Order: sequence, then C-alpha cells, then structure tokens
Amino acid sequence: MRLRYIARKCGWALLTLWFVLTANFFLFRIMPGDPIGLLARSTRLSPEALQQQIHLFGLDQPLPQQYVTYLRQTLSGNLGVSIISGTDVSEMLGARLWPTVLLVGLGTLIAAVIGVLAGIKGGWTRGSGFDRGSLYSSLLLYATPEGWLGMLLLIVFAGSLGWFPAGGYASNSGSGAASVGDVARHLFLPVLTLALGYVGSFVIVMRSSMIDVKEEEYISTARAKGLNDATIRRHHAVPNAFLPSFTLIVLSVGFILGGAIVVETVFSWPGLGLLTYQAIKDQDYPVLEAVFLISSGAVIAANLIADIAYGYLDPRVEEV
Amino acid sequence: MSSAAANRRRTSTHLMRAALAGAVVLGVGLAGLSSAAADSASPSPAAAPKVLRIGMTTSIDNPNMLAVNSAAEWGSAVIQYDMALKFGPDLTAAPGLATGCDPSADKRTWTCHLRDGLKWSDGQPITSKDVVFSYNFVRDKQFDYFNSYFPEGTTFTTPDDKTYVWHLKDPGIGPMRPAWCYIIPEHIWGKYANSTQDQIKAVKLMPNVASGPFVMTQANPGQNWTFTRNPYFWGTKPTYDQVVFQLYTNQEAMVQALKNGEIDIADGFDGPLLPALGAIKNVAVQKVDSDFWVSLAFNFGGQGPNSHPLPALKDLNVRKAIEMAIDKQAIVDKVYPGAAQPGETIVRPLSTYWHLNVPADKVISYDPAAANALLDQSGYTKGADGIRVDPKTGQPLHITLPTSDDVNGSTDVGQLIRGFLKQVGISVDVKPTTAAKMYDLQQSGEFDAYVWYWSGDPDPNYQLSVFTSSACDGDGHLSDGCWKDPAYDALFAKQQTEFDQTARQQDVFAAQQYVYDQIPDVVLAYPNYIEAYRTDKVAGLVATPAKVGYLTTSYDYASMVSAHPAEQPTTTGDSSSSGGIPTWVLPVALGAIAGGVFAFTRRNRKGSDEFERD
Repeated sequence: MRLRYIARKCGWALLTLWFVLTANFFLFRIMPGDPIGLLARSTRLSPEALQQQIHLFGLDQPLPQQYVTYLRQTLSGNLGVSIISGTDVSEMLGARLWPTVLLVGLGTLIAAVIGVLAGIKGGWTRGSGFDRGSLYSSLLLYATPEGWLGMLLLIVFAGSLGWFPAGGYASNSGSGAASVGDVARHLFLPVLTLALGYVGSFVIVMRSSMIDVKEEEYISTARAKGLNDATIRRHHAVPNAFLPSFTLIVLSVGFILGGAIVVETVFSWPGLGLLTYQAIKDQDYPVLEAVFLISSGAVIAANLIADIAYGYLDPRVEEV
Repeated sequence: MSSAAANRRRTSTHLMRAALAGAVVLGVGLAGLSSAAADSASPSPAAAPKVLRIGMTTSIDNPNMLAVNSAAEWGSAVIQYDMALKFGPDLTAAPGLATGCDPSADKRTWTCHLRDGLKWSDGQPITSKDVVFSYNFVRDKQFDYFNSYFPEGTTFTTPDDKTYVWHLKDPGIGPMRPAWCYIIPEHIWGKYANSTQDQIKAVKLMPNVASGPFVMTQANPGQNWTFTRNPYFWGTKPTYDQVVFQLYTNQEAMVQALKNGEIDIADGFDGPLLPALGAIKNVAVQKVDSDFWVSLAFNFGGQGPNSHPLPALKDLNVRKAIEMAIDKQAIVDKVYPGAAQPGETIVRPLSTYWHLNVPADKVISYDPAAANALLDQSGYTKGADGIRVDPKTGQPLHITLPTSDDVNGSTDVGQLIRGFLKQVGISVDVKPTTAAKMYDLQQSGEFDAYVWYWSGDPDPNYQLSVFTSSACDGDGHLSDGCWKDPAYDALFAKQQTEFDQTARQQDVFAAQQYVYDQIPDVVLAYPNYIEAYRTDKVAGLVATPAKVGYLTTSYDYASMVSAHPAEQPTTTGDSSSSGGIPTWVLPVALGAIAGGVFAFTRRNRKGSDEFERD
C-alpha cells in the first residue's frame, strides 16, 4: 500500500516536471521580441555573425526539432550558454547556488523556528498580551514588502550607522574565521530581512492550528484525565497542529532554490534570485530557462517530500 | 501536581526555551561573527595594500575581454589593455602603445611606430606582430565590435618589431580614426587561431596577461573583480596596488556604500539620486556629458511588406512642426531632473571635438503656435475631433508611438510628447514595449515613430553612418526609419575621406546640421552619466574626455594611474558612519535577547498555570 502511494506520487511529480520542461521551452519562444537581434544591434554584429549566433542557439531549426534537442540536452545536464556573456549556464548556476542556499535557507530556518514557537504560545494563550503582540507584529511583517524593509535596514544599518556592508557576499578572499566572519557580516542584513519577511506567515499558520486543536474534544479529555497543561500541549496539541506548518516549511524549503529575487537585488547578494533578475533585464533566455527549471524542480521535489512525509505523519492521507 | 507531570512540563519548557534560544543565537552569532570580521578586516596600515574600490551597477559576466558587453566589462577591458593609438583628452587619436603614424603621399599607407621597451604583464616583449595579430584576429574571428574600424580590404605588415603598416585599398585616414581594438598578446591567443568565436569567448585566463596598468587577478562572479598592478606597465607607476570593481545591483545601495566608506568611487547613478549624493559629506559628483541620446525617430517606410507608416511623416513641415511642438526642456526637467540637457544633434556631447552646438539662428525652438501655423499653411486642417487630417490621403494625423524599456523614462517621455502634440492637432498612442520587441519593430518597420536611443563611439563615423541610405539595407539594418537622402550620403562620404582633422571636423558639423534640418529623428535629450567619489579617500582623478568625461575607465585608464589616496582626513565622510558594529552593541543585544527569552518562558509557565486553573 505504502509503496503504491509513493510510486503514484513520484509519477505525478515526473509528469509535472515534464510539463514544466515543456512550458519552459515554449514560454520563451512565444515571447515577443528577438534578444539575439537586439544583441546584434548593440554589439554591431554583421548579418553573417548574426546568422552564426542564430545557428549556435539552434533557432534556425524547426520548432519540434528544437524541442527534442532541448529535452535531450536538459536531461543530459547541458543547460546551454548565456546569450549575453557566452558562458556556460550550468557554471553560472553553480556559482550562485551556495549563496542562495545560505541566505534563503538560513532566513527560512530562523523564521520557521521563531514563527512556530511564537504561534504555539500565541495560539495556546489566545487573547493574552503575548498573543496580541505577536499576532499584530506578524500581520504587520507579513504585509510589509520585503524590498521596502530591506531598503530601510540598508539605509539605517549600512548607510547611517555603518555597522554592516551595503551589499555583496564578501569583501575579501581570505580564509578561515576571517572569511566566515566577513561573509556573516554581509549576510546579516539580508537574512534579517528575509526572516522578518517570512516569520509572520509561520506565526499566523501555527497559531491558527493551535486555536483549532485547543477546542478539540481529545484536549478536553486529556485535561479531564488530569494531565498537566505542558503535557497536553506538547503531546496532544502540537503534533496535531503542526501539519499545516510542516507543509509551509517544506514548501518554503522548495522555494529556497528559487532564490529571493527582491532581497538579493536590494543587497546585491550573488544568488540565483539576483541571477534571475539580471537575466530578465538582459533577456538572457537560456539563463532564465535554467533558473525556472531549477526553481520549479525544487518546488516539485519539496511537494513530493511533503506528500510522502504526510503518509507517515498522518496515515489517513494515504487513503485519499 | 505529580512530580512526573512537573518534570514533563519543565522538560517542555526547556525544549521551547532551547529552540527559541537556538534561533536567536543563530542571529546573534551572525552579528558576533560580523563584529569579529569588522575587526579582523582592518589590517595595520603598514601591511595593507593600497586598494581603490569602485562600485559598479553592471556585472562582469565573462572576464574574457573578447566577450565584452556590459559597461563593467568595457571598464575591465580599458583598465587592462592598450589600443595602438588611444583616445586622448578630446577623444581624438593620441599616443598609446604606438607613438604615432605617418601617411604616405597617396594616403593609402600609414606607417606606425611602437614605443621602446614595451612588455606584457608576464614579462614577454610587446612587438608590432602583437598589434597586427590582434587586428587580424578580431577580423578573422568576426569580433564585430572591434573589427568595424578597419576599412574593407585593409591589410597590415610588420617591417620590424617596432613598426606596423596599414595598407588601405582607398586613400583614407586609417589609424588616425583610432581603431577601438585592444592589443592582445599573440603568444597567449595565437593558440586559438583555429578555434571558433564561441570557443574563444569561453577561454578563461586568470591572472590575465595584458599591457595596461592593472590586470585581473581574481573574479568572484556576481560580486567583485580584482585588478592587480602590472609590474611591467610601460607608463607611470600607479599609486594603488589593486583596483576592485564591486557590484551593486541597486543604486541606492551604492549610495549607502559610498556613505559608509565601503567604496571610494561609485560609477553609474541616475538623476533622482543626485539629492541623496549631495547630502553626503566629502562626496563630489561628476556629471558626465552624455554619451547617448534619447530620440524620437520617424518611420519613412520601405523596410518590408508590413511597413505602413503614417505618410504625412514624410513631409518635412510635419516633422518640423512636431519638433517645434515638443518642449525638450520640459522633458529634461520632468523626466531627468538635474541630470540631462535638451538634445540637438546626432553626435553625442561627450565627443567634445566632433559635437556640433547648433548655431542660434538655426535652432528649431519650442513654439507650439508656430507649429500650428506651419501645419495650417501646409493644409493639415483640423477635423471635428481636433485632430488634423492629411490633405493628400485624408488620413488623420494619428501616431502610434512605441517606447523602449531599455531607456530610462522612455514612457514618461512618450506621454509628454502625447500632450505636446495634442496641442497641435496630432494624436499619439504611446505603446511601452521591450527592447527586444522594439528591435522587431525597427526591423519590420511596423511603427509610425518610436522613442529609443542611440549611443556612439568617440569618433563620429559610426553614429553618422546609421543615417546613411545603406544603413537601411538587409537584415539587421541599423537605420531607425529608413530615411534615405543622397545629399546626406555625400556629406557622410566626404568626412570619411578628409585627411585633415580640422577640415574633417567641419564636414562632420555639416553632416550633423543637415540631419538636424531634415529631422529624420528628433534628438530629445542628452541624459548625463553620474559618478561620485569620496574626496576624503581618493584624489588625483582625471576625466576623459577632459573635465566633462568619465573619472573611471570608460575610455582611458589615465584616472586609475593618477589616482592616489587623499590626505589623511580630519573628519570621516559622514559623521554617523563607522567601520563596523560598535563594541557596546553585542552585549546589549545579548542582554536584551536573554531577557526576552526569560520573559517568554516565565509568561509561558504563567499562561500554562492559568490554563490549568481554568
């Protein structure tokens, strides 16, 4: 039964991935405009050189043939070369992967831990000062645009106070603790921005679940049995209330590889989000295709993990 | 309460406390490391290399000079490489690796002489063979950005290691229109003689080998690029040991970086940030004369079967009335406040020697009343809706106006034009579009007029060439709207064959004046390029071209050679800025967090007790 469930979920994931690959291929070919022609204008390519470029990117082939070539190359790990710089796209992605994982991963982790704990306490003590404070703060942070918040932190802590750098990943190429510290110094403000931006949703979701669970009959039963409050919360309320937050966390992990376009752009953080922004600006379609594929693939994988994990966390799910 | 239950509750509280503390410790850890890094990143002045940090808003995606594309990549090429003859203080030919060139009597042969004792950054000698190799390499491999400076049929010879000769098919100015082609070492690039252009663009060379004052020694993609002083540089030894290009992907962040002293120079701001720059102490702003212009280009048709522009635009009186109806000063004031000048001619102001300031008696001034009168006289009467009608075709004067998204403020410009032309009975439909789509429209001719831009070279030849009749031929043609005028073609050809620079300047002026009078494009504005630097940190910067040009590396590396640290400042750049987190911040933050955790857990326990009492 469990194997069939996992196989079915994997099948759907593969089908979704194929759909993403196909959409990725056609999306950039139906978009108006000719980026190679534009590049030819700005770099003064002769008509012969322009034709060479068109041939290089396979755009002189019939569309079905381009599609088959695209699928074959992508599945074999060849993501092509950038229209703008002529560099290998896989290489470009490789250089941007770690900074994004570091930034978005850490931001998500901090937000999830603080958000879930605050949500548990807020939901459990509904109406208390802490609950009201955390709820209003969460709503405020949830509604705050990350770009605006980032700019505010940048102007205050980097510009006016000069405590942190105004952007980038590192100032020097040193090694050891100095290098780690240098990266941490650059990382602080973008992580803070992301954590503040994300924490609200974790608080709200967890609090809501806790409030629902608190009204359940098995909680009353547990109280009637004489269990103390902490035990009821820990063993009966939190495990049942955690499922929506778990979904949110896993999906957030899936979005890590998509980068944080706004925050990375505000803080000049050299991650996948910034690469996406630059590729959109330059209409560098091979890079955009690769970034979209990676971020979509990560979300599909995260969904798959969540689906499979649900089967273990809540066996009733397998029956659906 | 049983002791077991009490223990469980304590355990639960401890877990929660630990988890919360773990999360906050992560944050505090970052701050702590940050503080440590700020301390460790400040080596003693005696041991520290002198580093000039320049903030950039564009990236070096490929450090290979032959793949140059963005502004930062051009800057990277300029700081590392030499041209044979370079751009001088007025962007005309000046000695580079070569001291000069002598023409033969028939002006078909130009003999050029290299300096003595030239060496590459790896210690190998630079010879005339490197120069000729570079010229032939970019032509053979079709690096079109570099090879467009060699007239068709030109060949090169090297009589000796210090001499190279241009052999022209027709008499011409040859190398005196500086070939914007950087000289590369044959002993490095010669091994790629059989490679394709794309294979050559993929070549990685680190550290690089070049002849300029600095060579790239480290590239951190998307972050920063380090150039180290070339020990074999032939010119004056630069004061700085290293120059670092640091990428900032938004201009506001670069303002903050300049303010907190993270960078010494910031390269590339838009006008709206001028007030923010002006508010920082010890920051000087350089408004670079425009190296591009925003244009309203008219379409004359003939590009293809789908090209059906408004016929009335072929009438010079209509084009002149449109120019008279447009308030260029208002465009500058509203779209580019404080950072542009009204446009006039098609050679950008930065080419100071070649740019024509239109004589006052020939200027087409803003005068909507005169524009209305001119259209009335030409028979374009207004219909019931207030829109004029073409007497020849009966078509209303309605213009579809795409505006390109790669020009800052282009749609705002389009909307202003819409308002200006409404006053003279011409309706405009503004269509914001992407640059790539704009290229399609330009190629197919499916537009009446558009708002786009042109940027040129230091030498005016290229910019003048895009208005010739031949610029409308074939795929990839450059002409905006396929304006064809044999009289202009003749003026263009004349400036190409004039050997005397002063006489050529007059020919170039005549060509500009002709285009200005015939109005195939209305030159709307010359937006400035804005640079800023910390006067308390760096001094000795020089502009290229002189006074009105770039302080960094756009056309010449002179500023990077002459730059030196400023005298020890008596004050910091901004009174509130500093070099890291003050020492009191960390204990206070830790105390606040510890207090918060304590309060959280106490209230948690209290809340639980209350729950149990319910």
